[in-house]
Amino acid sequence: MQKWMIRLLIISFSVLLFSCKTYKIDDVVKVETKEKVTYNNYFSDSEMDYVYKTQIEVYGNSLSGIFVAKKMNDSIHRVVFTTDFGNKLLDFEISEKDFKVNYIIEDLDRKLIVNTLKKDFQLLLKHKFLVEEVLENELDIIYKSKQDKKYNYLFKSKQDNKTFKLISASKSKEKVVITFESKDNKFADNIIILHHNIKLKIELNKIEN
Amino acid sequence: MQMKQISSIVFLFFTTLFFAQETKMNATEIAKFKSTVEKESKTIKTIKTDFIQYKHLDFLSKDIETSGKMTFKSPNLLNWQYTKPYEYSIIFKNNKVYINDQGKKSTVDGGSKMFEKINKLIVGSVSGNMFDDKEFVISYFKNKEFYITKLAPKTATIKKYIKEVELYFPINEPTVSQVKLIEPSNDFTRIVFKNKVINAKVDDSAFNN
Repeated sequence: MQKWMIRLLIISFSVLLFSCKTYKIDDVVKVETKEKVTYNNYFSDSEMDYVYKTQIEVYGNSLSGIFVAKKMNDSIHRVVFTTDFGNKLLDFEISEKDFKVNYIIEDLDRKLIVNTLKKDFQLLLKHKFLVEEVLENELDIIYKSKQDKKYNYLFKSKQDNKTFKLISASKSKEKVVITFESKDNKFADNIIILHHNIKLKIELNKIEN
Repeated sequence: MQMKQISSIVFLFFTTLFFAQETKMNATEIAKFKSTVEKESKTIKTIKTDFIQYKHLDFLSKDIETSGKMTFKSPNLLNWQYTKPYEYSIIFKNNKVYINDQGKKSTVDGGSKMFEKINKLIVGSVSGNMFDDKEFVISYFKNKEFYITKLAPKTATIKKYIKEVELYFPINEPTVSQVKLIEPSNDFTRIVFKNKVINAKVDDSAFNN
């Protein structure tokens, strides 16, 4: 009986150990800094209409359309996704704390879908990051920021200070990776949102409007 | 009277005047208009036209503009092709929908009543022959430039997506030059047809994906 107990304990303990392996970025060193905040400037200009041709791939299915985001005031963004024909599929109002569904078509009105998109868009549109730690490698500076139980890692290029990656991770795992390509560090030309725990990829390409 | 009140009365006067320019057609006018459009649409074998699509979202500073060309061959071949600012085409053929999204091809099986309805709606929108009292509550208007039919869907499923379809017929032309699809939120898609050619020779190969 005791042997059995011990074995079980060892197993569960190792499972615990395994799952508690902390997530960290490879090959970086910690930098001493006084920086308290850093910013992701894409989507932060309220004068701008952010319009993107969009491809969503989810578990082998693909969905195409137009993604629109607009900063309405200091805290709220409006986000709309339409088909290529212009029919509205969803219309959200998003801030860091609040979330409102103005419209969503029935087929997409599932708790899991709405919650996933809400979190993705909140991360994508987040402007201000409170810096907990700064890391670096030869080419990049990485700002680690805590948000509730998660950590965000904002990657900027040392050469031109452009934001090019944003990782959202739990204590142990990478959950969502967003990559940005931009000519001017104000408007991202290409964005890819990639999930690691579910098969979901969202690609946005800027439409010159 | 205060300045504010005066200005609002003036404003009210002008907006009433503006809207008053669109008047209801009387029974004789409606009968004549319907028979002309129906007669013309019976002679339509093919339609080739360019189009510009304006997606209006109230919160955006500018409508989203996409454009392309449309080819229709009676009774049910349709190629709706966006060329700017990106390539995207959707072909209705043999109860199937063929999509080519910037080179990425996919097929959706139609065969359903919904498919038939969409096909009818698009073809009807271009030819103008949509006087279907079973599907729509139809009202008829005219102004200096256009005869306008306003179609409010009767079916609950369609009502969720479309509040009203407006078809604009230039006074001296029996086919549609503008379509406006109004959503329940009052945001709308406006499609303007240009360089329309009726009954030009169209090969079936124009509907290959």
